[in-house]
Amino acid sequence: MASPCEVLSRAGRTVAREQLRAVAEEAWRIEEKFSRYRTGNVVDRINTAQGTPVDVDPETADLLDFAAELHRLSDGRFDITSGVLREVWTFDGSDRLPTAREVGRVLGRVGWDKATWVRPRLTLAPGMQIDLGGIGKEYAVDRAALLAAALDSAPCLINFGGDLMAVGETNHVPWQVGIEAVGPNGGNPARHIALARGALATSGDARRFLLRDGVRYSHILDPRSGWPVTGAPRSVTVAADTCTQAGMLSTLAMLMGGEAEAFLARQGVRYWCMR
Amino acid sequence: MGATDGGREPGSGQFVQRLAAATCSLLGIGSTVPVLAQEEPTWALDTSFLYYGESDERVQDLSLNVLARRLFADDKVLSFGLVYDSLTGASPSGAIPLNEVQTFTRPSGNDVYTVQPGELPLDDTFLDTRYALTATWQQPLGRLYTGSVGLSFSTEYDYTHAGLNFGITRDFNTRNTPLSLGAAIARDEIDPEGGAPLPLAPMGNIGDLSARRPGTEDKDVVDLLIGVTQVVNEHLLVQVNYSLSDSSGYLNDPYKILTVVDPATGEGIARVPAPGTAGPLHEYRFESRPDQRTKHSLFVQGKYYMGGKVLDVSWRYMTDDWEIDSHTLEAKLRWPLGDRGWVEPHLRFYTQTEAEFYRPSLPVGELPEFASADYRLAPFDAWTAGLKYGFRTASGNEAGIRLEYYRQDGSVPDGLLIGNQDGDALSPELDAVILTVSYGFDL
Amino acid sequence: MTGRRGLVALATCAICAGSGCSSMGVEPWERGVLAKPEMQLVVDPLEAGIDDHIYFSKEASSGGRGFGGGGCGCN
Repeated sequence: MASPCEVLSRAGRTVAREQLRAVAEEAWRIEEKFSRYRTGNVVDRINTAQGTPVDVDPETADLLDFAAELHRLSDGRFDITSGVLREVWTFDGSDRLPTAREVGRVLGRVGWDKATWVRPRLTLAPGMQIDLGGIGKEYAVDRAALLAAALDSAPCLINFGGDLMAVGETNHVPWQVGIEAVGPNGGNPARHIALARGALATSGDARRFLLRDGVRYSHILDPRSGWPVTGAPRSVTVAADTCTQAGMLSTLAMLMGGEAEAFLARQGVRYWCMR
Repeated sequence: MGATDGGREPGSGQFVQRLAAATCSLLGIGSTVPVLAQEEPTWALDTSFLYYGESDERVQDLSLNVLARRLFADDKVLSFGLVYDSLTGASPSGAIPLNEVQTFTRPSGNDVYTVQPGELPLDDTFLDTRYALTATWQQPLGRLYTGSVGLSFSTEYDYTHAGLNFGITRDFNTRNTPLSLGAAIARDEIDPEGGAPLPLAPMGNIGDLSARRPGTEDKDVVDLLIGVTQVVNEHLLVQVNYSLSDSSGYLNDPYKILTVVDPATGEGIARVPAPGTAGPLHEYRFESRPDQRTKHSLFVQGKYYMGGKVLDVSWRYMTDDWEIDSHTLEAKLRWPLGDRGWVEPHLRFYTQTEAEFYRPSLPVGELPEFASADYRLAPFDAWTAGLKYGFRTASGNEAGIRLEYYRQDGSVPDGLLIGNQDGDALSPELDAVILTVSYGFDL
Repeated sequence: MTGRRGLVALATCAICAGSGCSSMGVEPWERGVLAKPEMQLVVDPLEAGIDDHIYFSKEASSGGRGFGGGGCGCN
């Protein structure tokens, strides 16, 4: 997960320990299974298949179904095959932009439409790769939350590096969540959110960027063009029923660039954008 | 590329429903429980209790200060301030110590008070309670501007203040160089006990209010400010402000007097109160200040972050048309202590030159247009040294305690001394202790 | 940043700030430290108000940092 994970539980001490164990084991299990940095797991097998079909287990199939649906719903903006673009884009704060030709070449290996997915068989074109980083963490939060909720009905908050899910009884003193202030002179004051039930996920523009001729290129790439999205907010936090939904909405908002707020407003969800 | 299908593009209402369905499928659940998340409607409350005490039975002040702020959606902020002040003790009246007993008529004209030889005359008339209220509304105006408007009001038994202020800030340079403009206007009403004394009128016997102006006096103040802040780098901020303040109307202190002295010896001029009544035993005159004052100030501040510690340094230069020049140098260093605490030593140095019409005493026969012996218009240096300790409680609230020592040291220029007057005895001196206890919490 | 370089930068910027240097500053994602409450120009408005009032009634100068709050019968 590459971030600190915690469980806050209002259950009794013994049960809380069980919840923590269940959450931790689930987090580690999902990380081992879906991380693109591990050799031998299903993602690695898919990414080294070199064009040959790969049969996947039901959980992986569910994730691929989800990714496919989101690819359709987002009009191609969300694409788990876009990871290979990191071969030409290194967001290290320098001014080294790739050329249109370099991007064009890699773009040939990007596109869910170039993959063939018929459950349970996935066939990628040679050179293509999948990266489940865009949904993995939020999915893990939701899975972990379900396990914790099954052990006790007392309020419980799962927090994987800022992606939160609150489960259990709703009639309690809500969890106090803060979105950090940004900028001097109260440009973006800190926000207090009372979370009684449900999820909060944040997509952010971290320290990864490129700067050339005074133009900042954020690390959020549009897989349809291979180039960075322009005008994205600094961070987007969305409240939704599950962390998967909140994460997807905040990710898509960032991908909408300057239209982030308009997009979220149209969805009728509670959101906080910082620019 | 980017062709869209009306019903499925991430802009239609169907998107959220389809996302929900896809999620339920993924997680193997039938439906989701609706989220319950809302922005806290918080009132952030800051409270502070102040004790201010001067040595030698001079002024003591106890005050309670409250600041309440509420943040609304869209970055709008409403804040209210309340101050309750209780002042006791005595303040120098402007008269100088003499080698004889002195008697003064109180400003009300109803009574006298006496001062021993060699003692600095203090007037304790203004035991007073003051209430002050402020209200401010701040909100963004478009993407780059923030505007604010505020009201201020205060009242004590002989003084009322009402004011209005505006501010606008524009962000330049992606919030790295905000520029601010501010304006404030105020109308103060002074209702001195017994009525405002006519300029340089002699202090009369009990019951004699002949040299007083009936009714109330007015004072108008206009303030203008322009300031720019510059973010230098991740750890350094600098602010520069220029401000102009123009006061007009009744600028006197109605209770301050000057001792009339013999031009050769510098001693007081004896006076006999009318028979059957009591009054001053020496000659005194009420002060007179111009009815106009224009001040210019230049203020520069820097904040520097050094791995957890924050250094705050500022300098203010003030000059006005009363010929007062002042410099204020201030430095604070905030030093983290453990997880939740911090200490902040504080040092302040202040120096001012005298007003053009300042004089410790008035030679008999001389009647200038303006004259005041108020020590606050005299030349002096002042030091403040203090330490503050603050910490965040387990529930996330802020508490603090601050102890400071303030010392004023003046030196009357030889040219203003008359006869055998001793500069040391006449020079302003003040020792005070400042203690504040503060607590901030959310409602 | 070493102490001396910091001082030079502070002096330069006190001058530059008046003319509005557009080459200086930070990107939005570099504002972590600047966002801290202790890095605000006025960290404690209540304390600043108390001090302003004390010094306004004991000295001939006032304001500079900003204004608001109003007068009193003490100067």
